Amino acid sequence: MVKIILLICLMFFLLQSDAFEQNCVKCHVNEFQFSMFMRKYTLKYSSQRAIKEAVYRYLKNPQYEKSVLPYGYLKRFGIKKKSLLSDEELEKMIDVYYEKYNMKDRIY
Amino acid sequence: MYKSEKHTIYYVLGLYLSSTLLLIATLFTSYYFYQQEQLFSEEKKQLKKYTLELTGKLLDVHEDDSFTYKYPRYENFKSAIYDSDKKIIFADFHEVIDDFEEEFFVLNKKSYYVSYLKTHYLGAAYIVVQKEMQPLSILSDTIVIAIVVIIITILTSIFLVKIVLKPMRDTLHLLDNFIKDTTHELNTPITTILANIETLDKNKCDAKSLKNLQRIKIASMSISNLYEDLVYLLLHQKILSVNKELNISQVLEERIHYFELMAQAKKLHFNLAITPDVVFAIDKQKFERLVDNIVSNAIKYTNIATTIRITLEHSGLSVFDEGNGMSEAELQKIYDKYVRFDRVQGGFGLGYSIIKSIADEYNIEIMIDSIVNKGTKVTLRW
Repeated sequence: MVKIILLICLMFFLLQSDAFEQNCVKCHVNEFQFSMFMRKYTLKYSSQRAIKEAVYRYLKNPQYEKSVLPYGYLKRFGIKKKSLLSDEELEKMIDVYYEKYNMKDRIY
Repeated sequence: MYKSEKHTIYYVLGLYLSSTLLLIATLFTSYYFYQQEQLFSEEKKQLKKYTLELTGKLLDVHEDDSFTYKYPRYENFKSAIYDSDKKIIFADFHEVIDDFEEEFFVLNKKSYYVSYLKTHYLGAAYIVVQKEMQPLSILSDTIVIAIVVIIITILTSIFLVKIVLKPMRDTLHLLDNFIKDTTHELNTPITTILANIETLDKNKCDAKSLKNLQRIKIASMSISNLYEDLVYLLLHQKILSVNKELNISQVLEERIHYFELMAQAKKLHFNLAITPDVVFAIDKQKFERLVDNIVSNAIKYTNIATTIRITLEHSGLSVFDEGNGMSEAELQKIYDKYVRFDRVQGGFGLGYSIIKSIADEYNIEIMIDSIVNKGTKVTLRW
């Protein structure tokens, strides 16, 4: 029974990861960018709740003033387009992103 | 040492010591709290320094591009970081901190310093730095010093009290010796006068001489009473009481007989209701002093040609005179030594203080009911 549950969880995570690959990694290409974004978000927003809310707000309506990236970076790459994902999908993607790149779990 | 002198010493010592000890306690407590405050200030300063050091290190770690982040650890202090929702991010101590309002506090001999970070390195909104608190070692020293100071104060105060009381003590000794010598010198002439009056052949005296003789006898008896009172006052602490079952009815009758001559001189009449064979365990001399003082007071203060009623029961004695009586204010001071309300009458004002002293010794209750211009009733209950 436990094995079945674990298997289901793993499959769910893999499916979510696949969605994350599709929706996020496709454009941002490398992990460095994700890590850097997370460092910037963490530096500004601190807690998990505040970081997720800030990422959500930005992805729903990307604006220069909402971005955590430096001015030079934004000038060069601009801001992203508004996300077309549903709220539910977006929240799931943010959860996966936080799960994979949060700094808290990597402190030892 | 006199009782009053002892009281004075105790009062002065008590007052001096309590005020001095209060002052010492205040000083030492203030000193202790001042030192504690100093220590806290030092601790806080040190912890602030550690916080700055840690913050710098957190910045370095945060900017590190590696996939994992090594939390900075130090030998001389421990730390923890919390996010803006006050959830723990990482800590290298086990104590749970949930109060972020107080900047500095001490808990279980450890001092803590909480600071807020505007830039959240590794997500840290709050940094808590912990270190072992330096023990406040002055407490034991302070207690030792306080004890030494207190002992010195006690010794000094005893010495001071003795110096202050010395002149008073010398005067009292002088007075005491004077009264003792005078009393001693009074004994022989009084005894001689009284003995010689008794041996005189009354038949050979004419009426006028007999009257004069009676006056001499009354005066001698008064001096004799005074002598007995003084002896009691001076020596009662040194004389051991011989308490035995005393037939006080008999003794009372003897004493009333003794005072008959004095009563006659004032045309007084004794109305006696003496229950026979009343027995009470008391020293005879003390009972005589008790009765003599009550009866002689009644004779002294009652009006001429009145009746003195004396009642003796198994449970008490009462003496009722028809004198001028005493006011409430006078009754309040009646047991004080050397207090006299009627200057016309002789005496030292010792009577009631002797009555009280003997009554207290034998647990006898004294009740004095007095009505001005009507008389006084003295009741003893045992």
